[in-house]
Amino acid sequence: MDDRVDTAPRDGYHGAPNRPLPQSDSYQDARDPVEPVPTSRERDMPKRPGWSGPTYYGRSQLKAAPFDPWIVGGYVFLAGLSGSAAVLSNLAEGVWGKRAADVGRRGRYLSMLAPTLGSLLLIVDLHTPQRFYNMFRIAKRTSPMSIGTWILTSFIPFAGLGFLSQLGADLFKLKGLSRLARFSFAPAAVSGAGLSTYTASLLSATSTPYWAAQPKELAMRFAASSIASGAAALALGAKADANRRTLETIGAAALVVELAATVMSHKTVKAKGVGESLKSDWGKTEEVAALGLGVLLPLGIYAATRLRGRKPTAANDLAALATLVGSAMLRVSTLGIGDDSASRPEVSLRFSQPENLPPPKRPR
Amino acid sequence: MEGVITIVQEGRFQLSDERGVSHQFVLDRAALAETEQLRPLQSRQARVRVKYTDASGLISLIAHRIELLGPEAMERL
Amino acid sequence: MNVHPRARDYTQSSLGKLIPDESELTAGVKIEPGKQYGFFTDTTVCIGCKACEVACKEWNNLPADNVGLTGHSYDNTGALSANTWRHVNFIEETGGKGVRDNDQNPFQSGWLMMSDVCKHCHHAPCMEACPTGALFKTEFDTVVVQQDICNGCGYCVPACPFGVVDVSKADGKAHKCTLCYDRLKGGLEPACAKSCPTDSIQFGELSDLQARAKTRVKELHDRGVHTAYTYGTPDGPGATGDMQYLNAFFLLTDRPEAYNLPAAPTRPSNRIAPALTAGLMTLAGLALAAVALMASSRQEPPHGR
Repeated sequence: MDDRVDTAPRDGYHGAPNRPLPQSDSYQDARDPVEPVPTSRERDMPKRPGWSGPTYYGRSQLKAAPFDPWIVGGYVFLAGLSGSAAVLSNLAEGVWGKRAADVGRRGRYLSMLAPTLGSLLLIVDLHTPQRFYNMFRIAKRTSPMSIGTWILTSFIPFAGLGFLSQLGADLFKLKGLSRLARFSFAPAAVSGAGLSTYTASLLSATSTPYWAAQPKELAMRFAASSIASGAAALALGAKADANRRTLETIGAAALVVELAATVMSHKTVKAKGVGESLKSDWGKTEEVAALGLGVLLPLGIYAATRLRGRKPTAANDLAALATLVGSAMLRVSTLGIGDDSASRPEVSLRFSQPENLPPPKRPR
Repeated sequence: MEGVITIVQEGRFQLSDERGVSHQFVLDRAALAETEQLRPLQSRQARVRVKYTDASGLISLIAHRIELLGPEAMERL
Repeated sequence: MNVHPRARDYTQSSLGKLIPDESELTAGVKIEPGKQYGFFTDTTVCIGCKACEVACKEWNNLPADNVGLTGHSYDNTGALSANTWRHVNFIEETGGKGVRDNDQNPFQSGWLMMSDVCKHCHHAPCMEACPTGALFKTEFDTVVVQQDICNGCGYCVPACPFGVVDVSKADGKAHKCTLCYDRLKGGLEPACAKSCPTDSIQFGELSDLQARAKTRVKELHDRGVHTAYTYGTPDGPGATGDMQYLNAFFLLTDRPEAYNLPAAPTRPSNRIAPALTAGLMTLAGLALAAVALMASSRQEPPHGR
């Protein structure tokens, strides 16, 4: 790629090379009538898949996030998994009561993943990790990272208490402890719901084109994927009974919603001119790993096993595992595609055009 | 390297060594010294010994450890 | 020539120490806390000398980070970064195919040069994104990173619509132009504005600068440069999408993308509400579906056939 600015006559640009030059040496005579040149504000930018105007030596005007896609993607996956496991297991214990004791136990163990491994991943990704506690200095509503810090912080005590009581109940077989486990864990469902989806707002509240183009669709994808992974983790390797069957149905429903959200997401992204990034390596990874492995394969397996008979088979374990891997890869590849969209001027300059501006707020 | 801290800005400082040659340092993220501790060193033109390595991609040195020399040697950073 | 009356008090060519309110003499403005200050960069008088880059590096004791030649006209710096807070853009628009034209457009419209800097946005996305509160608005209405608080999370980096702030790999914290906060507190104008030989970079009170810019644009239009416009003034390009205005704004003669600026940046924090709402609604819907499915399975025997 020629990294010098293209100085040949450009498509749609009425710039310097085509502008008639003043006829004399004197600047005074430059006031002679010259064809008025429209500024970029006035010019109607044609809708094009990518930016084909001049770029600054092939550089993007943005900087890609310094997050490691695997580390931060891993955290987002664990947050969604723990949060949704908390939501679903609490709902199960609420509706089924004693019958859901096993589901409740799994939920409480799964919910410890975000506070322990997830927090570790977050701290490791900081470039000055020894100052991680500065995240607790403020609570800022314009910063999803601040909002998320407090969501996670409010999740930890309830999840922790539920986990410890459950552990105690399992080791020492004390009935009182299992009651404590169930009720101390209930509030975790509220912050768990937050954990399952706030990360999409974290990504959208940046200037990275792929994330900024689709705040709603990304949030829907992450929420649906979180519920699907929570249901899958609660069902994985569990006894083949009605509980498991219902959890798998819930997981399948979430995957269908995720599929719909993915279609909407791709449509929105292409309409805003960021479609090029879907063709990048990370875009292909998302298609194969997140969509194929994580959504279509499990849906296919669930449909096939339901048609054959009602007892879950080993294939259902595979479906659950595929859902989990796909959910993790969705987050990782979303970060990777975002980095790609911020690094390429064909995408980044195309995105920040007036046609992509949100509609002006109507005065009340 | 031993010398006197002459300029401090944020987490960067300039050290004038024995021969009067100035060197530019960036405080390493893992250094025990904090950025706000550098300013008082500069205002009293303290003599220090700096343990450093070369920075990659920058024309600078990374300071890992700063030791006070002279009468204030009891204080360690 | 306008000479400030105070200038008669300092006739020696080099001053031994700091004088009070030096900015009155060098920039014609007295710096007082509580007022809005910024830059007006008139690219039509920029000569591409890079004194601003050098002065910024010198004053802020920044290490050289872009070493080597890029081959991109006279721009060997490339872009703003954690250690480069002023960056001069060079765009050669005439003389394609290696042969320079004999006729040049006036006011450097054939060869664009612009000194890029942190825009010190009114609704600064970096500041809104910062979870530790390290980025704040100073008493001079500028945006500064507090180095003793920043933990290098890097969330400000993708938030910036202009790609200004960056995290340093050497010290693990975010850095950007401070509008010479320490100089402002001492009554001095920023280093880049002071060193600019053509006064392309003008420092002053924001309202004053915006008025000057308006006059200059009109003057340029009258002289035949119809492509001149301001970028970053209220309701102009660069201040779209609820950004309101930029404290450091520019006078440009070509479209923003040519200078590596976004044509229509947006304020990222406006996307939080739609994202959270959509996500929570999806969760609520799936939770309701889950409850319905669980309730209907209550009628079945607890263990499978």
